[in-house]
Amino acid sequence: MSASKGQGQTVNLDSLSTQQLSQVKKQLDDELEHLTSSFTQLRAAQAKFRECLRSIANGVTPKIEEKPILVPLTTSLYVPGKLADPENVIVDVGTGFYVEKSTKDATKFYEAKVEELANNLKDLEAIVQGKSNNLRVVEDVLRQKVLSAGAPAAS
Amino acid sequence: MAEGQQRLQALSEEYTSLQQELQTNVASRQKLESQQQENKGVQKEFKSLDDDANIYKLVGPVLLKQDKTEAVLAVDGRLEFIDNEIKRVEKQIKEIEEKTDKVRMEIMQIQSESQAAAQPQAAA
Repeated sequence: MSASKGQGQTVNLDSLSTQQLSQVKKQLDDELEHLTSSFTQLRAAQAKFRECLRSIANGVTPKIEEKPILVPLTTSLYVPGKLADPENVIVDVGTGFYVEKSTKDATKFYEAKVEELANNLKDLEAIVQGKSNNLRVVEDVLRQKVLSAGAPAAS
Repeated sequence: MAEGQQRLQALSEEYTSLQQELQTNVASRQKLESQQQENKGVQKEFKSLDDDANIYKLVGPVLLKQDKTEAVLAVDGRLEFIDNEIKRVEKQIKEIEEKTDKVRMEIMQIQSESQAAAQPQAAA
């Protein structure tokens, strides 16, 4: 997706000037920042799906039937209610579509989602690791360049 | 000399605006990609559903019941539209990149010309 140096064609880092190196470093920094924020977002999404799973497990079971519940209308206003159908839930499948599912199917659906995200997270983690390795190498070379140039320039 | 400067200025302005255009196009490409992924997920989900499953569509704040065939058609249509949009945006991105390359070459040429012109002056 993103063409970065050090991938595809190999570039000898020693042959680059300090300026070019800091450019590469900046690019890597940006990429890493983007990837890390994506990582956090994926984590948050996964936590949300887990929350749904927990809600189904605790809140939508035949055990709850006939028991009064409090339905939140706003965060501070509740009305008493009763669960009309403890067997089925309506699941948001994305792009504005909602599907009625049995609690069992819904649990399966969310488990699949969590699993999918876990795989994405694993892939992303590997990429982040690779990028940070690249960044470290570039930083090392850059530091050596600056030191050997004898210029105590603060990068 | 002043003419070259002016030309250079105009070119670099063009370059910046091209870069901006490229950025907006890349952003919309990314947005399309995420929409495509979401729609694909929904499509996959619909495939695993029974034909008599209850499907609702969010319209404003209410959920409206929809036929499965209707919903599947809607999602398929959307995916087709997104595919075409992606193709269109990618073509645009390619065009802009070509234009940018051309402008960059021109800028470099003018710069080297003005450098060559400045050297005899410095020697004098």
